[in-house]
Amino acid sequence: MVNATLAPEATERAARDRSAAGVRGRARHRRRQAVVAYLFLAPTLLFYAVFLLLPLGFALLLSMSRWAGFDLGDIEPVGLDNFAGLFADGSTFLAPILTNTLLFALGTVVLALAGSVLVATCIDKLRFQGLWRTLYFLPIVTTVVAVGNVWKYMYEPGGLVNGVLNTLGLGSVAFLQDPDTALPAVVVVQAWASVGSAILVLTAGLKSIPESYYEAAALDGAGAVTVFWRITLPLLRPSLLFVCITQFLTGLQSFALIIVMTRGGPGDATNVAALEMYRQAFSYGDWGAASAAAFVLFTVVLAVTLVQLWLFRRKGEDA
Amino acid sequence: MIRRRFPWLSYLLVVTGAVLTVVPFLDMVMTSFKGPDEAGTLPYRFLPKAFDLSNYRAAIQQLDLPVLFRNSVVATALITGSVLLTSSLAGYALAKLRFPGRDFVFRLVLSTMMFPPFLFFIPHFLILVHWPLAGGNDLLGRGGAGLTVSIVALAMPFLVSSFGIFLTRQFMISIPDEVLEAARIDGAGEFAVWWRIVVPQTRPVLVTLGLLTFVDAWNEYIWALLISTANPEVMTLPVGIQFLQDYVDPTRTLPIVMAGLVLSILPVLVLFLLLQKHYIRGVMLSGLK
Repeated sequence: MVNATLAPEATERAARDRSAAGVRGRARHRRRQAVVAYLFLAPTLLFYAVFLLLPLGFALLLSMSRWAGFDLGDIEPVGLDNFAGLFADGSTFLAPILTNTLLFALGTVVLALAGSVLVATCIDKLRFQGLWRTLYFLPIVTTVVAVGNVWKYMYEPGGLVNGVLNTLGLGSVAFLQDPDTALPAVVVVQAWASVGSAILVLTAGLKSIPESYYEAAALDGAGAVTVFWRITLPLLRPSLLFVCITQFLTGLQSFALIIVMTRGGPGDATNVAALEMYRQAFSYGDWGAASAAAFVLFTVVLAVTLVQLWLFRRKGEDA
Repeated sequence: MIRRRFPWLSYLLVVTGAVLTVVPFLDMVMTSFKGPDEAGTLPYRFLPKAFDLSNYRAAIQQLDLPVLFRNSVVATALITGSVLLTSSLAGYALAKLRFPGRDFVFRLVLSTMMFPPFLFFIPHFLILVHWPLAGGNDLLGRGGAGLTVSIVALAMPFLVSSFGIFLTRQFMISIPDEVLEAARIDGAGEFAVWWRIVVPQTRPVLVTLGLLTFVDAWNEYIWALLISTANPEVMTLPVGIQFLQDYVDPTRTLPIVMAGLVLSILPVLVLFLLLQKHYIRGVMLSGLK
């Protein structure tokens, strides 16, 4: 078989100019490689068509339509009415929902950053680093249903947190039932769950600071606090910035923890934009308002993403 | 490293933090052993009166745990398998094959990562419900429940990972072209080159990607909740446990819910402890989780 197919090719090649045949062979090889490449990419491109482009178009269409949700033929275009409805007087979308979203994201960033900076700078000098890292990582691999339910129970009058407060002689707090404490209480849990990965990034950042800087500072007689403010913190800035922005982006989008813990309550005290989108769609069947809310939140997320890209590109040019 | 004058301060901070991280897990385990009148009552007690396994037995029965477990395993296996396969295929094409449109496809892969997941819950759900010729639907996607009748629905939106493609591509670029060229001269087709040379060479990155995908898929909640609401038969572990917590008397079932949670996080926990290095490297590569 091989000989049979090779033989005519060999004689053909011998008969023609060698370089011309080489070019032709390469062209055929290249064409075959293109076919193979698109075969390898086919599942991915098909997926993008059905689960990326189609849904994006559909969501955009829905955000500008009114639809009861059954027959696709009943989709009724209403222009920008859904968006106008979100920002109309008396709408809860701007306040408290969108403000809650920003507070939730900001609060998580501040708490997680403070915690991870403290732990990461200390952990660097200790033994058993692997053990500490494992422990701090546990929440990251745990399902949100477990995290949410355990903390919900811990916040209850008969739960651990109030148990500690009572032991200290303080009164119980109805953390998740009081509109004033519900959002901070959920923020604490989200921060608790994300400290581990922030520690990881910051630890890597710390390791990249040259040892000689610290030695020079020690020779100059700088104290621990001075070293931290003058050397560690400035040189850690890229890692800090990265943690801030990615954590902020995650915070803007997260709502699984809130569904498990409070479902947005009491009232709208812990309701965030992504949860509002979810409820409008799957609880009230208002697909138009839900899709409009999704695109408003997407605009915010996109803006933050672009700021991130711009910041890191600028940093890249400086370096 | 610089010598600290007060290393005990560092220890104090790190240990306190670690305790704060672990205590909720311990509280979960302790509560899973408590009797029906022991949890959520005043005054709070950390330790249960006795360590008996009745809540675990109750969880397995009341939750129909074997079915939930099977659904979670099937969905997770479908997602992980598909992500590994499609990522290494597409990653290889983008890293090592030359074809018109390569830069465009690569830029497409990168740009898809700009779209946050919440944007897709609604359209994905509607697309699956109106999937033509499935679950009693006609050609125009009307009349039935569409693909939501199938367990595949749990996995569909997660079958391809742009991050996975990006990761494998970056890794495969460093494979020397001469190795691949030698195999081609020996008569290996592109598929054989991919399977015999590229896949074995990229095993570390595939382990990392597989582990990240596995953990995410196992813990996935919102999408599984949507699909399970449409079709309770494909309910996964997180959804089933939350269901029990929401619709049965919360104070009496709390210890059973905690027992179910302990059982549901065990597989991921064991896997994480065994393959920690791979997982942590994955989190580093993906930036932040």
